[in-house]
Amino acid sequence: MDTPRLRKNLPLVALLLPALLMVGLLFVYPLLFSLAYAFRNEGTGGWDLSNFTKAFALYGADVSLTIGVTLLSTALVGVLAVAVAGYLTLGENPRAVAVLRWIYRWPMFIPFVVAAQLMRTFLAKSGMLNNTLMSLGLIEPLNAMSLLDWRGVVVTFVWKQLPFAALLIAGAMASMDRSLMESARGLGAGRLRILIEIVLPQVSATVWVSLILSFVTMLSALSVPMMIIAGTPTMITVDMAWRVNSYGDYGVANALGFISFALSGAAAWFYLRQGVREGGKPA
Amino acid sequence: MTLSQYPLPRYQIPGVVGTLVRYALIGLFAAAVFGPLLNMLIWTVAEAWYFPAKLPLRWGFAFWTKVFRPEAGAMKALYTSMVIACLTVALSLVLAIPAGYALSKRSLPLRSLFLLFFLLPQAFPTVAVHMNIARIFYGFGLTGTIWGVMLVHAIQGLVFAVWIASAAFAAIGEEQVEAARNLGATPLRAFMTVSLPLAAPGLMASAIFVFLISLDEFSGTFFVGVPDIRTLPLTMLNAALEGNYQIASITALLLLVPSILFMLFVERFLKADVLASVGK
Amino acid sequence: MKRLHRTLVVSALMTLGVLSGSANAQVTLNVISGGSQNMVDYVTDYLGPLFEKQNPGVKVSVVGTGPDDAGSQKMLEKLLAQKNAGLAVWDTDVIVPNQQKTGEMVKEGLLMKYRDSIPTGKYAISQSAKQALGVNVDGYVMPMFESQTALAYNPDLIKTPPSSFDELRAFVAKNPKSFGYNGLKGGMSGVAFVVGWMYAYGGNPEVIQQGPYDQKALAGWDKAFSELKAFNQQVVFTPGNAGTLDMLNRGEIAMGPVWVDMFQTWKAEGRLAPNLKLKILSPGMPGQPYYYAIPAKAKNVELAKKFIALATSPEVQAEGIVKRFNWYPGIDANVVKPALDTKTWNQLFVDVTPEDLAKNAKPFPLAPFFKDMREQYEAKVQN
Repeated sequence: MDTPRLRKNLPLVALLLPALLMVGLLFVYPLLFSLAYAFRNEGTGGWDLSNFTKAFALYGADVSLTIGVTLLSTALVGVLAVAVAGYLTLGENPRAVAVLRWIYRWPMFIPFVVAAQLMRTFLAKSGMLNNTLMSLGLIEPLNAMSLLDWRGVVVTFVWKQLPFAALLIAGAMASMDRSLMESARGLGAGRLRILIEIVLPQVSATVWVSLILSFVTMLSALSVPMMIIAGTPTMITVDMAWRVNSYGDYGVANALGFISFALSGAAAWFYLRQGVREGGKPA
Repeated sequence: MTLSQYPLPRYQIPGVVGTLVRYALIGLFAAAVFGPLLNMLIWTVAEAWYFPAKLPLRWGFAFWTKVFRPEAGAMKALYTSMVIACLTVALSLVLAIPAGYALSKRSLPLRSLFLLFFLLPQAFPTVAVHMNIARIFYGFGLTGTIWGVMLVHAIQGLVFAVWIASAAFAAIGEEQVEAARNLGATPLRAFMTVSLPLAAPGLMASAIFVFLISLDEFSGTFFVGVPDIRTLPLTMLNAALEGNYQIASITALLLLVPSILFMLFVERFLKADVLASVGK
Repeated sequence: MKRLHRTLVVSALMTLGVLSGSANAQVTLNVISGGSQNMVDYVTDYLGPLFEKQNPGVKVSVVGTGPDDAGSQKMLEKLLAQKNAGLAVWDTDVIVPNQQKTGEMVKEGLLMKYRDSIPTGKYAISQSAKQALGVNVDGYVMPMFESQTALAYNPDLIKTPPSSFDELRAFVAKNPKSFGYNGLKGGMSGVAFVVGWMYAYGGNPEVIQQGPYDQKALAGWDKAFSELKAFNQQVVFTPGNAGTLDMLNRGEIAMGPVWVDMFQTWKAEGRLAPNLKLKILSPGMPGQPYYYAIPAKAKNVELAKKFIALATSPEVQAEGIVKRFNWYPGIDANVVKPALDTKTWNQLFVDVTPEDLAKNAKPFPLAPFFKDMREQYEAKVQN
């Protein structure tokens, strides 16, 4: 970079500096601190893998559950969000499209902790879901079961994240060139086929962004598993809070934190690779 | 695209059945979206609800008076939440307006790298970061204070504030600023009289968005604020874990109203393209 | 733009409001209480107002930190941070911690030896006033109350409730998902169930409760834990101490371990179906006290002592602890009993008789055993 350009832009960088410092000090520094202290053995004062050994001995099942729940929720969010966004874009009944547009966004800005509270009463064994199904004669009272375990978490995640992903994807679909869709329609292609073969490839970057952001959001949710999953297995965010709050044990908690960073890092890497393969830079 | 090269079969469902299926699906979707909300509304006015009753045995507002009595702490939590949210908005805007302005200039070196940097707090799970912030803040006496909680909230809000501000400034044409400069205005004056007012709707939107983020923030407050600072989400968690579903539901309703209002009015403040670029 | 200005001005004003709000208060006695919401309510609704009435110009401010070790750990961290920062005066006057963390706080030198300087000190005669899970806390604490866990059940669904752990296992084997408990992370009633299980099947209960600490005493644990793991397949997990009561109430489980005091309070408030009943399983289920303690560098020491003296006076223990909140008294029962009418006193022992308590009420394990037990549960049962 040549010096005149740098000198011209120095004021701009100065304007940026306070915000950069803030993120650096209050996010990047604790993040690095957490990564490093995952390897700290408080007993010996040295650095080793003992925290990870203990983390897996105590919470190995929870690590698997966390991965499973977040992946499944992300996949469901993806499928449903594409379906909703697709109908909003390709739907031919204006009234149905308007109704759907009005409905789908409601959960978007509802905080996770509130969503968890809603689902906690809704999905309980004698909650509204089962009561309604029983009244409709769809299930027998004896078969009623509580969904307040990993399934409840998946339901809550999907309920909460679907509007976000659908909004982003519908936005991308709306800004597409419609001529191709219409000519395919003219040739008699079904809407499902148009969605999958024409629309989806063009908005895939947005789909990935929304899914990866959803994945990370779900990975960091503490309140949802804390309120919905009674007992075990649970998600590792709850285990982290438990180690820290009950024992002041930051070692094992940071080891679990390391695992969650690694998972989101893998997602980010996957996304960047996807972007490179498609020849464009990530959106 | 290979579509035009061969004729396609038509998968058309006959009209009436299609309409029925369409409305059944939309009805099911509506039930899935609104069922949990309706359930919560019922809990807010249920005074007694034992097994095996499918609906409350006694309805009424008894728990509302319980929540809003001064000793219960819900009003105090509401007040604490509001104070923290306002402080968070102020701090985020003070940082985000200059940063967003700088990022709106294409000439800024390493611009996309800086934009990505601000995305970091959204790109990594926050729980592990928050517990370490709490540990670091102990040393500065910030754990358990309004200021500590405000800083944690501001980090979460800053991403959106910076990105929305940058989009808002970028949407302003250069011509008007140039015109002001040609009339002899200093850069600061041009910024204050031209750029800032033009970007104000976007900045207002980002302020509301940050306000909501702060109002709803959970895990940062859980680690940094508790037990001294108790915001509404924490009060709600407490009530829920104590099995006070009515109190939890009423608190949840208090948190829901601003979120839903924002959802319904967001498009007046934010154009869809700006909103869609948020968090990208 | 105008609106933006207004937002900034409003937030600035609100900040000032917060700052001045704390500046013009009178003397404030800062109390931090662990335990469930009922313990915070006890100070907010009963003890605090009583103390304020007797001491004009004093305001009692109470903060709850939540149940189990996590709640009391919060106090420990707060005090330790102030000690490490070298502060001459700490911001907390009275704390109400559980046994485990009280022991740790005494070892860290965070508490003040005050008991012999208050008039009610002589009433603290129980074993738990001297020992907290094996740590000598004599002189540092006054027990606030004693509490006990028991099995709550719905007699409409269970005609003859199990009276021992063996009978419970047999019942659950025949009726899966009828029993629920809150695991190890959801509050002390679940922990108490696990402890009771280990007393029944893990061997050496006397050593585990009284010491000395010896790894040899853990010989039978592997088998007991693997049986518990199998048992867990047939139970329902409930969300917390209150969650067990709530699920009983909603008919989702037919029985589960609960705190006797919470059970009675919920019943008295009409939050619990009136037909539910209690029973302590043999060979025993644990109970625990909560303590009143004063941080070593508390700001208002004299006021704190006065507060605790009031809280542990026979009258307050009778009216507040026994009558209103259904706990067993923390001080000598012989001085509390005369302050109550017989009916109220007997109310305390409706389902769980003094004989049951004498036979089946146990303490929690010695601190190091307790730690081993919790970690092994997480590794062997949960994972």
